[in-house]
Amino acid sequence: MNYISLLCVELKKIHRSKIMLILLIPVIIMWIPSIINADYNFDTKGIPISPENNFFIQGFMGMVWFMIPATIVICTVLLTQTERANNGIVKMLSLPVNTVKLCLAKFTVLFLLSLIQMVLAVAAYYFCALIASGIQDYPFFLELPEVAGTVAGIYVGTVPMAAVFWMIAVIIRKPIFSVGIGLASIVPSVLIINTKIWFLYPMSYPFYLLMVEYGKDAKGIYETEISWIPWLPAAILIMAAALCISCLKFGSSERR
Amino acid sequence: MTLSIELMKLRRTGYIPAFLAGGILASAFPLANMIFRAEIFTGLPGNPYGILMRANWQMMGMINVLISVCGACIMYHTEYSDNGAQKMDVLPVRAEYLFLWKFLITVFALAIVTVIEQITIFGCALYWYPGYETAVSDFIKGAVFQWAIVFPTVMLMLLISSACNNMWISLGIGVILLFIMSILPEDNFILNLFPFCSPFQTFEEVSQNGRIPLFLSICSSETVLFGAGEELYQKIRRAVQ
Repeated sequence: MNYISLLCVELKKIHRSKIMLILLIPVIIMWIPSIINADYNFDTKGIPISPENNFFIQGFMGMVWFMIPATIVICTVLLTQTERANNGIVKMLSLPVNTVKLCLAKFTVLFLLSLIQMVLAVAAYYFCALIASGIQDYPFFLELPEVAGTVAGIYVGTVPMAAVFWMIAVIIRKPIFSVGIGLASIVPSVLIINTKIWFLYPMSYPFYLLMVEYGKDAKGIYETEISWIPWLPAAILIMAAALCISCLKFGSSERR
Repeated sequence: MTLSIELMKLRRTGYIPAFLAGGILASAFPLANMIFRAEIFTGLPGNPYGILMRANWQMMGMINVLISVCGACIMYHTEYSDNGAQKMDVLPVRAEYLFLWKFLITVFALAIVTVIEQITIFGCALYWYPGYETAVSDFIKGAVFQWAIVFPTVMLMLLISSACNNMWISLGIGVILLFIMSILPEDNFILNLFPFCSPFQTFEEVSQNGRIPLFLSICSSETVLFGAGEELYQKIRRAVQ
């Protein structure tokens, strides 16, 4: 089986998992307080930021900090548990399928689910900006290329994190530890983006990218430029290492 | 008898070690804060215990909620994977009692976590604030309060997990509820009484407003309410199945 057909099989497996609801609900809910409190965007408490930028950043803040990493953890649970129930993974491993390809196909699904959530988030943003603009009689829209560019950047920033979460899910078989480590690792990212070693901690990348965007819109809040040099090599190395380990370890406990 | 069965089911899931690890991780926040930047906190006016709780409890409370969510998901995951729950149904055991034992085990595990966290906070206060005097009764009051306000969250999360066969759905609902509560405004007093929001309150702040009895009574009634919800759910499930 080639990679594409494996990917199609993997997508079929999660067809009835109701994961779409779990992706969609937080995306909608995150904008409800923003709509209700849309007038707060005019009171920027001395921070030099325009109301429409404020609306965008504040809305995405909770999402990027907590919900995106948590969703990836939930999706890793989905991907591992659908296989382990009824020993599906043993059947997959008994087929003439390359386990590395199988592992990468599963990682691609993780990556696609995260992409779907990002697209939904942008759609929900425009829908809610429309409502908030109607209520406040002020245009809260940002240009689509700007929003899409920022969100795409954040999305690319989540990929190393997704690789690390996938590695944790593959090598740690006890779900309480894989889920627990995944969720607990989200909590310190707020502290870590303010330290010098943030680039070694993949869970803080999406939040870092949003904070840089915040820094660009409001001078003095945070850095205004992405520090590519320690970040890019570190991110690529971490991602490559995580993917290699997960590919090597995939299915190893079942094959024993 | 059922308690020992429940404990046996959890033996190989790593439940107790995970809770202990959660408590140790949560304790790392105040320790790291005090080791790396003690000067920010030692200069603040007020009660050292209050300062440390204000600075760290948001994250420690979050760890407590996350570990309760994970724990609840795992407890019912062991039942639903390999159809354990169906086998329990044919035994002369009521599903409500299983639920109650699971609740008691979680609450007991959380007690250990809370004690570890509170010891660290008091330890930091005694070590970094020379001259700070405290009594054992303060420690007990703080620990019991921080422990008791997590009960509604545990009960609700167990109710959700018992209703969802798939772990990712119960985990997803738990995480989404936590997310909703984290983006709602913090200064709203009514919202602070809700499950997933109450664990983030601190003893110091609540006692300043004189709301300790109110918080404890509302939290215990929520706990009883969700427990009754499980009873109702099991009745419906038996009627439908």
